[in-house]
Amino acid sequence: MKKHGKKRILLGKMGLDAHDNGIVIIAKWLLDAGFEVVYAGLYNSPESLVQTAIQEGVDAIGCSFLGGEHLYYTRRLIDLMNEKNIDNMKLILGGVIPPDDVEELKRLGIACIFTPGTMRDTIIEALNNLFIGSK
Amino acid sequence: MKREETVKIHSSYLEGERVPNFKTLSGLEYKEVYTAEDTTGARELPGNYPFTRGIHKTMYRGRLWTRRQQSGYRSTKESNERIKYLLSVGQTGINMDPDLPTHLALDPDNPLAHGDVGLQGSSIVIYEDMVDLYRDIPLDQVSNTMIVEAPTSAVIIAQYLLLARERDIPWEKLIGTIMNCPLTQFVGPTYQAITTFFPVKFGVKIALDVMEYMVRHAPKWNIVNINAYNIRETGVNAIQEAAFALALAQDYVRGLIERGLEVDVFAPRIGFFRAVHIDFFEEIAKLRAMRRIWARIMKEKFKAKNERSMWFRTACQTSALPLTAQEPLNNIVRAGIQTLAAVLGGVQSIHTTGYDEAFSLPTEESHKLSIRTQQVIAYETGVVKSADPLGGSYLVERLTDELEEQIWELMKVIENRGGFVQCFMDRWVEDQITKMRHQLGEAFTSGQQPIVGVNLFRDERDLTKINIFRHNEEWQQQRIQEIIEYKKNRHQEPVQRALEALESTVRKRPEENCIEAIMKAVENRATLGEIMDTIRRAIDFKRPGL
Repeated sequence: MKKHGKKRILLGKMGLDAHDNGIVIIAKWLLDAGFEVVYAGLYNSPESLVQTAIQEGVDAIGCSFLGGEHLYYTRRLIDLMNEKNIDNMKLILGGVIPPDDVEELKRLGIACIFTPGTMRDTIIEALNNLFIGSK
Repeated sequence: MKREETVKIHSSYLEGERVPNFKTLSGLEYKEVYTAEDTTGARELPGNYPFTRGIHKTMYRGRLWTRRQQSGYRSTKESNERIKYLLSVGQTGINMDPDLPTHLALDPDNPLAHGDVGLQGSSIVIYEDMVDLYRDIPLDQVSNTMIVEAPTSAVIIAQYLLLARERDIPWEKLIGTIMNCPLTQFVGPTYQAITTFFPVKFGVKIALDVMEYMVRHAPKWNIVNINAYNIRETGVNAIQEAAFALALAQDYVRGLIERGLEVDVFAPRIGFFRAVHIDFFEEIAKLRAMRRIWARIMKEKFKAKNERSMWFRTACQTSALPLTAQEPLNNIVRAGIQTLAAVLGGVQSIHTTGYDEAFSLPTEESHKLSIRTQQVIAYETGVVKSADPLGGSYLVERLTDELEEQIWELMKVIENRGGFVQCFMDRWVEDQITKMRHQLGEAFTSGQQPIVGVNLFRDERDLTKINIFRHNEEWQQQRIQEIIEYKKNRHQEPVQRALEALESTVRKRPEENCIEAIMKAVENRATLGEIMDTIRRAIDFKRPGL
């Protein structure tokens, strides 16, 4: 599935928040920049997202939040990935996440966090850097 | 000699500083200058059909718009405190937002709901929540908007009517609004968002049940509010916002007429909720154009006789899309300008979005600032002292005409496809929205839609810190436990009987109005999730987790 060397990213929202302007635009930006996008849409649970990630053999999982639910779901997602010994997938977050929580989430091992107003080139550059050296 | 200037000049004096284009946000061309030749002039006075200049003769001279900030978080007790605070600083209407599980008709103890309980609004599941939410608040004296869509609206309105009965307030005296629109209220008409937990067709049916019931029993109550704000916030433009909302409103009007109701009985109780974006004149013109179109639809198409049926009554919220996380204080300026546009556009109530919108729910401080913004405009600037002060402006009148034409055009397309609900189910609406989102991403990246401090004049050194509303994680667990205990400790038999009666009614006679059966279930202490799962079962709909 990665014959052409394209990196695969699973994008989805967890929980019940359905604000998806951001993640829909990001999906387009990533496609345009040469990534493969697996779009899981809304209402995912950490379990369903991890399952899809394994099935699709993705290189990263990207989740978007808006309503203050980011810590609850991200902690569960990380626990689940640890439980399953998944160490070859990066975690990326985006959306309305207050500065203090950005720090906390980085401590938990999130590779990149893109809050509102991040420019397209910044995101693409960060993701390209993220995969440098990984195959 | 070597030049050593290092200061970057954004736009040099010689070049001339210029904006990137001369279009409205929806792509209409602003002319270099407008003259008398661009317009036939304002044709009627405020308060006269088709109400371009406002639905009232005296507009804000007679009464200011209602200050109606949304609020709601965690428990209904805490939300009650915030409502009281807002009223104490001069808010004049209530605007109550439930949390996501409540919107989607799931109980807090449902595993799908755990992470979202109490976050974006208040958890309202049982009758007792309604009691706590409106404690000490005179429901016949302050108008109360409840931001909740069908099918949940049926349970919420049942709880509310029971509360009024308990407090000896006659239903005829209740003043307020239930948003009630199943297609727009949650996050706008995006497909997966609103078809996953309840089917659209039956959602519309329950919305019509609520409307019909309230028209018959609470004649001062507003039965539906088409949430064009949420439509706009999905990324579409002003023309689409207006056309989608008006087309959808026509679907509801037809639905109620099919139930045998006279148009003049219910039409005065239909309202709209609009976005006011940052393109100042386009937003003002949009509001004027929509008033004109709605009046014509109601008079010519639906043969309304009562002028009130032709009134396009609208609340509004200043759009959050142009607000930024960078240099958040700039948002105070933006929201101030947007609020002024709303006032000059002649709206009936305003929610000024908080400057902390890109971070969290509004703090008390931010809530107060929103109210103060409106009060400064109302009491200090003088813009309220004449009705429709921009009437007759060559530019505004011309833009009103142009938008009106474009909105009619798009409405025709929607009508030819079978109406808005049909277009939604066919995913035509979804396709339009996705296209516009991609355009939005492009306009943001290219700078064609400039956002100061973000895609131009960006200052990476900015370290502005503002207070941010924080959630309390322990509370979620307490609330989940509370509902589990509640379900365990009530008399089970009456709950079961009421739910079985509801299920059998819906299964055998799905066309029958189900509000009274729902009220019986609420009275007997059934929860929101139990009631809606009963209906889901009765119509053979499987939601996730069932």
